[in-house]
Amino acid sequence: MPAGHGVRSRTRDLFARPFRKKGYIPLSTYLTTYKIGGYVDVKVNGAVHKGMPHKFYHGRTGRVWNVTKRAIGVEVNKQVGNRIIRKRIHVRVEHVQPSRCVEEFKLRKVKNDQLKAEAKAKGEVISTKRQPKGPKPGFMVEGATLETVTPIPYDVVNDLKGGY
Amino acid sequence: MAFVKAQKTKAYFKRFQVPFKRRREGKTDYRARIRLTNQDKNKYNTPKYRFVVRFSNKDITAQIISANITGDMILASAYSHELPRYGLEVGLTNYAAAYCTGLLLGRRVLKLLEMDDEYQGNVEATGEDFSVEPTDTRRPFRALLDVGLIRTTTGNNVFGALKGALDAGLDIPHSDKRFAGFSKDGKQLDAEVHRNYIYGGHVAAYMRILMEDEPEKYQSHFSEYIKRGIEADNIESLYKKVHAAIRADPSAKKSEKAPPKQHMRLKLTYEERKAKLIDRLHTLNAAAGADSKDED
Repeated sequence: MPAGHGVRSRTRDLFARPFRKKGYIPLSTYLTTYKIGGYVDVKVNGAVHKGMPHKFYHGRTGRVWNVTKRAIGVEVNKQVGNRIIRKRIHVRVEHVQPSRCVEEFKLRKVKNDQLKAEAKAKGEVISTKRQPKGPKPGFMVEGATLETVTPIPYDVVNDLKGGY
Repeated sequence: MAFVKAQKTKAYFKRFQVPFKRRREGKTDYRARIRLTNQDKNKYNTPKYRFVVRFSNKDITAQIISANITGDMILASAYSHELPRYGLEVGLTNYAAAYCTGLLLGRRVLKLLEMDDEYQGNVEATGEDFSVEPTDTRRPFRALLDVGLIRTTTGNNVFGALKGALDAGLDIPHSDKRFAGFSKDGKQLDAEVHRNYIYGGHVAAYMRILMEDEPEKYQSHFSEYIKRGIEADNIESLYKKVHAAIRADPSAKKSEKAPPKQHMRLKLTYEERKAKLIDRLHTLNAAAGADSKDED
């Protein structure tokens, strides 16, 4: 009999619950609220069978475009052939986690606004752009001693002592 | 001793999944909790209130709680140990006391939300099934009954508290199937029987039976009632007074107990402990020196 290609094929380990984390899922999953335009990670919870996304979307991050009674509509990018389609799926809240991808950006926004306000008060011009790490600065090598290493001729008698 | 195979091997412990803390303590039913606190996502942060009733051996706790990730928030609470303030000092865990506690909590919440004039509820407790009618201005306060882990049999005291809250004017979805006085055969709630329970009629009946048949047991069992001069005949009027007192002033009163002693938060370091010891020895030596000087 050939292997099937059903919706949940090849998901034996992917959808399995982690070691010693079976049973009731913690309440925070149900208590987090999601707003349209926010970002979420899709991570399937194998214990909840309803509203499961297809295995392709496991591990994808997308934007929330719809909020219903028990599910979230997520817009995820999928490459089909030579183009990327924005796919809209509905997923139950148990299979979704709030994403931290924008967290750093938000913090940086706040900090930059603060820096700009301070600079404006002082009257100086600053750039809040992020710069990539440049090449390391040059340095002098300290405490280096010179040791000349030359090859020694192969000594048949001594090297073969021990057995041949 | 015969050879006993070790039941709980190291492998057993390695694979053991510890249940949630409150499940280990046997205090929370997570299946029920998930279903009670789950709010529609398109209602975002609107709180979903549960009317929690819990019984201990000598007290009844009634609370209105909304769930939060950091921890549940209590909107209002009422305990049956507050009932002495309204004139009820004995029988604090019976059906009638549960009714009073539910009534107290309901009126307290409505007063907190300034809805107590709009929603009077059922002023005269008749035992009939009463549901709040929404007025034109505001919708009634809605909560869901959370019984916890008790067995919901007909006539359980939890439903006494539920009846109290309903008569206070809260909107709690319910059916009259589990009120005291519901007959399975007739499939109907006998309002008279229920009213009897609300006013402690069942307690009064037992008092009368004991007075007739076993006066010594009556003396021992109802000693606190006798001490306060509560007889089988004046139980109903007592509860009527308590209901009226609750409706008059349901506000919570802060207890005048002193705040608890603050324990040391961090352990003292080795140096600090040594320094303390040295100080103590100094004072001891000084005291001892003074005493020895007196002796000399």
